[in-house]
Amino acid sequence: MDRNEVVTRVTKVVSEVLNVPEANIKEEHSFTNDLGAESIQSVELVAGFEEEFDIEMEEDKALKVQTVGDAVEFISGYLS
Amino acid sequence: MSLNEQFIERAKAKPRRIVLPEADDQRMVEAAARLADEGIAIPILVGDPAISAPAGVEVVSPASDERAAAYAALYAQQRGVKEGIAKRLVKKPLMFGAMMVSAGDADGMVAGVANPTAQVISAAGLGVGYAKGVSQASSYFVMVVPGDPDRVLVFADCAVVVDPNAQELAEIAVITARNARKLLDVEPKVAMLSFSTHGSASHEHVDKVRKATELARAMAPDLAIDGDLQVDAAIVESVARKKCPESPLAGQANVLVFPDLNAGNMGYKLVQRLAKAAAIGPVMQGFSRPVNDLSRGASVDDIVAVSAIAALQCE
Repeated sequence: MDRNEVVTRVTKVVSEVLNVPEANIKEEHSFTNDLGAESIQSVELVAGFEEEFDIEMEEDKALKVQTVGDAVEFISGYLS
Repeated sequence: MSLNEQFIERAKAKPRRIVLPEADDQRMVEAAARLADEGIAIPILVGDPAISAPAGVEVVSPASDERAAAYAALYAQQRGVKEGIAKRLVKKPLMFGAMMVSAGDADGMVAGVANPTAQVISAAGLGVGYAKGVSQASSYFVMVVPGDPDRVLVFADCAVVVDPNAQELAEIAVITARNARKLLDVEPKVAMLSFSTHGSASHEHVDKVRKATELARAMAPDLAIDGDLQVDAAIVESVARKKCPESPLAGQANVLVFPDLNAGNMGYKLVQRLAKAAAIGPVMQGFSRPVNDLSRGASVDDIVAVSAIAALQCE
């Protein structure tokens, strides 16, 4: 899967879970500081990514991911 | 009889269904056995069905339990997320336990020996949800100051909310008072602490406490609450007569609400260390039904006592 497709699908999940329009989501955005996520929503984002990409991520590490771009990199590690 | 022993005895009067979602931990299994044996609660272990369950203890497995689909649907509805996401989440024992509580299949949950506090708060906030009018989790300590008789006070928040704004501080005050009433069977007298008594000092930190006091009064008009108050004006009758003779608490506050976590955490540790007080907690609060967190190092006795506290916090 090329990086652009990962970015597109990560953006879609973030938009759905955090209820933010896709156009307002940028790679450098922090889920909590820029996109209004409550910290407790991290587990929903992780489950959303797992569902979208049909992967199982290591939860402790996945919950530490803070930005959209870092999520793209983290998820890409499971797709290669 | 220690306060924890009293909690356990009182819980026996009306045993509640308490979910313990960390069945893989032997301490949880032993605690469940004691809760059931002694009739303190009706424990439900969540985890691997292969564990050897103690007599009289139900063990449920999220992977095979037929309620999982209904819990996923309930979660998706509560949170407005896709059912696929909800299905993945309720497979996790912590979230499955939270959904048992949300669905009314259990009265409360006790967890934390195998999960970090943040994860317990997350499962509770998402799965069980917050109490009406409350926007986040907070915590309280029951402080037993030795004397003749012992003096029992409730301190909040000394462990969770770092820098509450006026609204959040008001919520902490109201919910702590509610829990003090349930747990200690006393009428709460709530002091909103500050370095100022009734405006004796001017600062934005004092303004926050005064505003929080007003908001708490609006949320709970029947509650005996006052602020801003210094600690001595809150808990020493002779000082209250001098500094704030009009205070409805008259120096008899039994619930102390600290303005932020700096003050709260230092305050409880000072009383614990210098006055040799027993500190029971932190007990989590703010959820629509009780979810209590344990430290990773909790003993079987700790789990039993915290389960009894959860039972007493039920409506």
